[in-house]
Amino acid sequence: MSERLFVRVGDTFLKSPLILASGTCNMGRELSEIYDLSILGGLSSKGLTIKPRAGNEGVRVAECTAGMLNSVGLQNPGVEHFIKHDLDFMNTLDTGVIVNVAGHSTEDYIDMVKTLDPHKDKIDALEINLSCPNVKEGCMSIGSDAGQVKKIVSELRKLTDLPLWIKLTPNVTSISTMALAAQEGGADAVVLINTMLGMAVDIKTRRPVLHNNTGGYSGPAIKPVAIRMVSECYQVLDIPIIGCGGISDAKDVLEFMIAGAAAVEIGTASLVIPDAPVFITDELEAWCEENDTDLASLTGTLKLW
Amino acid sequence: MSKDFFCEVVSKTMLNEDTALIEFLCPEIAEAAMPGQFVNVTCSNFLRRPFGIASADKEKGTFKVGVKIIGEGTEEIASFDEGEGTWVLGPLGNGFDTSVSDKFILVGGGTGVFPINFLYEELTKAGKSVKAVQGFRDKSQIIMNKPEYLLTTDAGDAGLKGNCCDGLNTLSEDDIKDATILCVGPMPMMRAVSAWAESKGLNCYVSLEQRMACGIGICLVCVCKIKAEEEGVPFEHKRCCKDGPVFDSKEVIW
Repeated sequence: MSERLFVRVGDTFLKSPLILASGTCNMGRELSEIYDLSILGGLSSKGLTIKPRAGNEGVRVAECTAGMLNSVGLQNPGVEHFIKHDLDFMNTLDTGVIVNVAGHSTEDYIDMVKTLDPHKDKIDALEINLSCPNVKEGCMSIGSDAGQVKKIVSELRKLTDLPLWIKLTPNVTSISTMALAAQEGGADAVVLINTMLGMAVDIKTRRPVLHNNTGGYSGPAIKPVAIRMVSECYQVLDIPIIGCGGISDAKDVLEFMIAGAAAVEIGTASLVIPDAPVFITDELEAWCEENDTDLASLTGTLKLW
Repeated sequence: MSKDFFCEVVSKTMLNEDTALIEFLCPEIAEAAMPGQFVNVTCSNFLRRPFGIASADKEKGTFKVGVKIIGEGTEEIASFDEGEGTWVLGPLGNGFDTSVSDKFILVGGGTGVFPINFLYEELTKAGKSVKAVQGFRDKSQIIMNKPEYLLTTDAGDAGLKGNCCDGLNTLSEDDIKDATILCVGPMPMMRAVSAWAESKGLNCYVSLEQRMACGIGICLVCVCKIKAEEEGVPFEHKRCCKDGPVFDSKEVIW
């Protein structure tokens, strides 16, 4: 690994800007059979809740232009099961361990952080999911209200010294208002963006393809939206940004970093090309050699017109 | 280790106007493939398309998949000619465990006829006792059939008039005694065959299908309802691609 790929997200050091996004790598087991995950800066667990969740029923995926809709609905084994069966495994992967925390209410998030904090030696950061669009309560409904974002982050801040990365939803009028609220609450970083709320229609049955009616749109189609949001937030925030949305090659990573991201998450690309991060890492190393630079110095070097 | 291979098409046969049988060159997949496993094939659309493996020739280093055209992606893959190639991820999923018995009855329908073909080839090679029943809507739909199979059609214009269960009912007590049923086909067919097997006290394994994305168990979109081990939990959502696609029919919640 080239040291030129080292980045910092606040006080967290990562050996690469590439993090596997929550919900697109499960807990890492399946992908670890395909490639060596130690090339990554980190891996963000499947979104976890206090109690196990079966997730949504019926069709959960719809292919769309340059991407897909999903409505998994936070299927997960629950945080206790995760701590017993997955956290130690994630620690064997020799990469950053990010735990994605979801909930239906402020109390849920508080319980989650209280449950995870005693295991802080095994965790590099908590990614607070205020953005899943596929559950009826919590998540996106909290993340689209600046007052609630600030309140919940400041509550969680009192409970742990672990870095708090707040994953925000793009389904809001002003993303920078939400990002500033997270910062005021005491967040260490924001992750921009989760999926965009969308719908696909089956013209034969005149019903939505997804049995949840709506789902989260991800993939290359949403990349320009994500980059705009990273750039907008970079201009007003003091805390670092982790960019996410449609990244599929090294050029995409560079775009996000120039726009203001300190690190990035790769999501849907893994569903199509499971070892995409291997190629992206090689391409990033080659780019750094060619341009005789490290990656960290790229962050926020965008020159707006 | 990466399971993603660039595979060249070495032959293609149109089985009827909307179904192609494509043979890919890939020694790695041919060597590892087990009946009931599948591959995830890249096309110009965003997601890959999953197909059950229809046969594998370890000596030639090739494997075949049946492609029924149902949309843009399958239309493109079915249009591949010899010499063209694409990226194929595989073999994926858990195949049928053929060590459970020496006597099998295979039941196929729809695109299930492809994995049934692979099963028939491998089980006969292994010297096991095998009978097969295949059902189609009518004569025009018949593909991948063998003279040794018991053929049924809903229309009755070929083979026995009726469905697969009507076919199974013509088997003798000796035929079905201690046999294990392996079934791949549309959900209503698998449900009916499972119920038939249960009524006869036979073990039955089915290969479930759901809309899929990654094929390797990381996205959790292709889940099916399976009876939970834990008491008080009504069901578990298991991944067709990674925990299946083959499940014991007694564990499936239909």
